Amino acid sequence: MKAKKVMAEVLAVMLAAVSVTGCGSSGQNETKGADTTAETEAAEAETKEDTDTAAAESGESEPVTLQFWNVFTGSDGDILRAIVDNYNETNTDNITIEMDIMPNDTLQQKLPAAIATQTAPDLVLFGVENLAPYVSNDSLEDISDFWDVTGVDKDNFLENVVELSYVDGKLYGTPMQYNVSYLYWNKDLFEAAGLDPETPPATMDELAEYAQKLTDPSKNQFGLAMPSNTTYMQFLWANGGDADDPETNKNLLDSEENLQTLTWMQDLAVNKKVTPANVTGSDADAMLQAGQVAMYMSGPWQINGLREQGINFGIAPCVAGSAGAFSPAGGCSYVIPKGTDAAKKQAAYKFMKYWLTDEILKEWSQKNGFPVWSRTLAEDPEIQNDEVLNSISKATEIGRAYNLGYSLASQIDNDVMIPMFENVLTGAKTPEEALKDASAAMDTVLAQ
Amino acid sequence: MNENISREKAPGGAPATIKKKYRPQQQKSAYLFILPSMLILTVFVFVPLFASFIISLLDMNIFMQDVSFAGFKNFARVFQDDRVRGATWNTFYFAILEVPLQIGIALLLSIYVAKNNRYTRALRSIYYLPFVCSMTAVGIVWSMLLDPNLGILPYLLRCIGIESISFLKDPDLAMPTVIVVSAWKGFGYTLTLITAAVLNVPSSLYEAAEMDGANTWQKFTHITIPGIWPTVSFCIVTTTISALQMFDQAYVMTQGGPLNRTETLVQYIYDRGFQTAPYDLGYASAISVYLFAIIAIITFVLRKFILERGE
Repeated sequence: MKAKKVMAEVLAVMLAAVSVTGCGSSGQNETKGADTTAETEAAEAETKEDTDTAAAESGESEPVTLQFWNVFTGSDGDILRAIVDNYNETNTDNITIEMDIMPNDTLQQKLPAAIATQTAPDLVLFGVENLAPYVSNDSLEDISDFWDVTGVDKDNFLENVVELSYVDGKLYGTPMQYNVSYLYWNKDLFEAAGLDPETPPATMDELAEYAQKLTDPSKNQFGLAMPSNTTYMQFLWANGGDADDPETNKNLLDSEENLQTLTWMQDLAVNKKVTPANVTGSDADAMLQAGQVAMYMSGPWQINGLREQGINFGIAPCVAGSAGAFSPAGGCSYVIPKGTDAAKKQAAYKFMKYWLTDEILKEWSQKNGFPVWSRTLAEDPEIQNDEVLNSISKATEIGRAYNLGYSLASQIDNDVMIPMFENVLTGAKTPEEALKDASAAMDTVLAQ
Repeated sequence: MNENISREKAPGGAPATIKKKYRPQQQKSAYLFILPSMLILTVFVFVPLFASFIISLLDMNIFMQDVSFAGFKNFARVFQDDRVRGATWNTFYFAILEVPLQIGIALLLSIYVAKNNRYTRALRSIYYLPFVCSMTAVGIVWSMLLDPNLGILPYLLRCIGIESISFLKDPDLAMPTVIVVSAWKGFGYTLTLITAAVLNVPSSLYEAAEMDGANTWQKFTHITIPGIWPTVSFCIVTTTISALQMFDQAYVMTQGGPLNRTETLVQYIYDRGFQTAPYDLGYASAISVYLFAIIAIITFVLRKFILERGE
C-alpha cells in the first residue's frame, strides 16, 4: 500500500512537472524554431558572403533562391518544370527557383501549417479558389503594387482572368492560367455508334440521348463519365439553378430547378447506367484515355494525355439547358505566402513578370491547350491558326465563376456539394432527400 | 496476480523498516531510468493531451489568429454533427469486426504454428511480415490489387465469370475490404504473442489430459484457452484501442469514401483540423476529446470484464 502511495505522490509530482515543462517545452520549441531560422539565415548569410565576393568580381546581383510549391502533378508539370529550369539558366538576376510538385491535397495540408510556423515556401502556385480562404486568415502577401513595381501592363490581360487574383480589391496573386470545363468527345466511338463524329451534343437532352447510344456494357464502354467526387455546377446552372450567393451568404440550393437537374442526373447514372459506377476523377481520366468513355466534362489538362494516347477527340462547350450553357471557370495564380522577406518577394515578382510575357504564355497555351487571355498574344497568327485553341475559344466564352473569391468555397464543396452529387450519382439517396440534406448542410456552413 | 500481492503483503511490519531505509535511494535511480521515456511521453503524449483539452474549449484555427474562448460550443456541435455520428458508427463497425477477425485468425493459426520446428518458425516469420510493412505501402499495394480496372483480383474474378467488383469503391463493400486488409496486416503480431503464450503452457497439463482421454478440441478449450487467456485478453484490449484509432488504412485506400462510409473518427478529426478550410482546430480537438472519452470507457469496460474474469 505504501508503495502505491509513494507512486501516487511521484505521479502527482510528475504531472505537475509535466504541466510546467508543458509550458516550458512549447517555449523551447519556439526558441528552437528561432534558432533554426537563425541558423539557416546564418548559413545563407555565409553563402551570400561567399558568392558576394564572387558577385563583386563578376558584377552580378546577389543570388536568391526561391522555394516554389505547386500542384502540377500531371504532364503539364513537366512543361512547367522545363520553363522554370530554363528561367534558372537564363535569368540575369541570379535567381534560382527550387520547385517542389505535390498533389493538391498534400499542399493544402502542408501549407497552412508551414505558414503558421514560418517555414512556408517563397512562391506558391495553386487554384484561385484557394485565395480567399488564405487571405481571410491573413496568410498571403498583399502584392497590389505588382503592376507598378514591375511595369507589367495589367490592361493587356482579360479582366475576368485578372479579377480572379483579387480579394476585396487587393491583389494577392498573378494569373498563371485560366480554364473552364469542356465537353470532350471520342470521335471514333461516335462513329461506331452511328453518330456524326463532328457533331457533339449541344443540349442536355442530346447529351442524355447520345450517352445512352454510346453505352455498351458488353464492351465495358460508357457514354458519359460522371465521377462521384466532384461538382456539376454546369448542369445546375444550365437549368437555371445555383448553389449559393457568395455576396449575400444566401443558400440557393433548395429549388425546383435543382431538383429537376438532380433527378435527370440520377436517371442517367443509376437507371441508364451511362457512367461507370463509383469512379473518381482520375479513374475517369484513365478511362477516357483508354477509349472506354465516349464523353466527359473536364478541364484543359486532359488534352495532353489524350494526344499521347492517340485518341481521336473533339472539344466542345458544356451543354445547354433551359437557361443556357455555362461552365465553371477556374485558374491558377502565383501567390507569395505571408512572411516572405523583401528580397525574395522582389525575386518572386521578377519570375511572375517573366511568366506574363507573351513568349511564355504562348508556350504554355500551345503545349497544354489552355485558353489565351493576353490581348497581344491573341493577335499572334500562330495562336489564331491553332486548331485546339480555336475550338476552345468558344467553349471558354461560357465560363462562369462558382464561389471563386469566397472564403467558404472549399468547405461548401467538401461538406455540401460533393456529398450531394455523390449521393445522387450512386443512388444512395433520392434526389429529394439529397437536395434537402445538402440544403441543411449548406445552412450550417453559411451560418459560420 | 492476487496471490502475488498477498504474498508480498504477508511478511507484514518487520521487513517494512528495512524497506524504508533502502527505498528512497533505489527509487532515485529508478526515476532516472524512467526519465527518458517520461520525457518523450511528456512531449508527445501529455502535452498534446492537455493541449487538446484546452483547445477544444477555444475558437481557434491552424493559423492561431483571433483565438477566443468558446466554452462548450464545440462539444455541442459534436453531438449535432451527422458526420461525427457516421464516423462513430464506422469506427465501431471497424473495431467490432476487425478485432475478432484478427484475433480469431491468430488463435486458429496458433494451433498449427505453436510448435518449435523449422517449418513453423518460417511460417511465423512469414505471417509477421505484413506487420512490419508500413500501412501506407500495404494500403497502396492492396488498392492496386483490388482496382476494378487494373487489379489482379477483379481480373481473376472476371475470368471465372464474376463481373467486376470495385471492392474499395462500392459503398457497401469498402469497409469490409478495409477490415480484411487490416486484419491481414495485423494478425502476425497477435499470432506471435499468442504462440509464445501457447508454448508456455506446461506440457504436463496436456499429457495429463491425454491420459484422461481428452481430444484435441477439448485440450484446446480446456487447457490452451485458459492458459493463454491473459495474453489473449491483452491482445483484445490493445487491438481494440488501436482499432478505435484507425486512420491510415482508410486514409490511404479510400480517403474516407465512398459516401463517407469508411470515414472514422480520427480521419474526421484530421479532416476538420488539417484538411478542410477553415482548419478548425477547436472543433477537431473537441472530437478528439469525444473519442478519448469513448476509448477510455471501452478500455475500462474491457478491463473489468475480460482481464479480471481471466484472473
